[in-house]
Amino acid sequence: MKDVYILGIESSCDETSCSIVKNGTVELATSTATQIAIHENFGGVVPEIASREHVKNITIVIEDCLKKANMKLEDITAIAVTYGPGLIGSLLVGLEAAKTLSYIYNKPLVPVHHIAGHIYANSLVEELKFPLIALVVSGGHTELIKMADHFNFEKLGGTLDDAIGECYDKVARVMDLPYPGGPKLDKLSKEGKPTYKLPIPLNDDSYNFSFSGLKSAVINLNHNEEQKGNKINKADLAASFQDVAVKSIVSKTKKALKDNNINNLIVAGGVAANSILRDALSDMCKENNIHLSIPPMKYCTDNAAMIAAAGYYAYKLGRRADYYLNSLSTTPLQ
Amino acid sequence: MRVLYIDTSSDYLYSGIVIDDKLISEVKRKYEKDLSKEALPKVIELFDKANITPKDLDKIIVVNGPGSFTGIRIGITIAKTIAWALNINITPISGLTAMAISCDKDSYKMPLIDARRGYVYGAIYDKDNNPVIEDSHIELKDLLEKANDLGNVIAISNNDIKIGKENYDPNILKIVKYFENSEDVNPHLVNPIYLKKTEAEEKAGL
Repeated sequence: MKDVYILGIESSCDETSCSIVKNGTVELATSTATQIAIHENFGGVVPEIASREHVKNITIVIEDCLKKANMKLEDITAIAVTYGPGLIGSLLVGLEAAKTLSYIYNKPLVPVHHIAGHIYANSLVEELKFPLIALVVSGGHTELIKMADHFNFEKLGGTLDDAIGECYDKVARVMDLPYPGGPKLDKLSKEGKPTYKLPIPLNDDSYNFSFSGLKSAVINLNHNEEQKGNKINKADLAASFQDVAVKSIVSKTKKALKDNNINNLIVAGGVAANSILRDALSDMCKENNIHLSIPPMKYCTDNAAMIAAAGYYAYKLGRRADYYLNSLSTTPLQ
Repeated sequence: MRVLYIDTSSDYLYSGIVIDDKLISEVKRKYEKDLSKEALPKVIELFDKANITPKDLDKIIVVNGPGSFTGIRIGITIAKTIAWALNINITPISGLTAMAISCDKDSYKMPLIDARRGYVYGAIYDKDNNPVIEDSHIELKDLLEKANDLGNVIAISNNDIKIGKENYDPNILKIVKYFENSEDVNPHLVNPIYLKKTEAEEKAGL
């Protein structure tokens, strides 16, 4: 069978990324321009600034990626691009570049949903085994998805309010940890113990999550202790928050696996890089004889390798877009 | 010489292909929101009508601002991607200059793009299209004052700005001829000139 080379482009938030993946499983090269240092000044991603950076970086990362892979655009089989969800102004830079390349080189254009990309990051590690449950945890998503086959997504549940990553960043901000706070909170929590009592979020029979109550509880606790003139033990508070948040995610995930009688779990999204969550999921899967796949850290955050990997399976299924493809800030996983 | 012109800086798509001294195909169309969807297909239609492909181009002239931030990025991304991938010369130009060039009047010319809240992106050019007041993000009343000092000034705009003005109808052939021998820029460095910081930067004093 002829090898398939997918060039993936991702620009949905604050990373301009291009990658070439062979046969959906082998990453040949990736080039990413990250904007973290720029957005640090503002305590979060500023959409207009992100868009301005993308347009500066887009052709540079594509050129750099091709050079690293020692390939020409002529050698590429198809071009995959994130069309949504994400920041609309950011998305459209990658989208216009992908459409233009598809046109001038007459290569198929494959539209990829950003969350499908996160899920397929796992195929860069090992082939996906179906049926599976995908746990998507990121700055914009907290979802449990059942997959019977490639690109067959059935949403079992999701967050009713804040996404878990959003909650991490907000809690980190209250604790004066600089943006992006999630990873710093994770690190800090290892120095502490879960001594603060925090409410367990949405401990019910559904597959849904809710993190706004937990977030408010941390903010209030922080505020009340300050009022009383007590010093917060930040490491302990971080550990307490992580303990409750992670327990909630693990218990709902376990329930989704058991109820559906599924033995494969894949984890996706930026918060999959969280060490406490990784450990807790790993323990739960060992106890229950579940096969667990979590991508390495570099595939957890936004990157184009995952878009190219997902793009391969979408390409195989015959998914194509025409040059009218538009970027969408919100769009259901498909 | 085969030249592609693209201007997406003002809610309109103005694009055309000039071969030697003739405008072969052009599009002038207003978009409320679907510019990102429609821009490339419309440009492809121009290539098809002209019976050439992007590879046949000798040059791209693209408006790099000022105007709609998102709009500019759409045109720039298409233009720099073609120029980079196919190694085609590219010259970024000011959309305000293009407006001045398109106007044949024998007077000072004041191209304006609405920037909201009483502000405009504007400039004043003399009859030979040399800037007298450089492209700026400026309060309309301040620019009008400067125009008053000069005397015979004609305002040009396709936005709903409440002053006496001539509607902007780009003369793509004239713009292309004006710039076809201008200096080329490395496509990676063809980027929007916004003339305005983001609100976040202004608030942070950056």
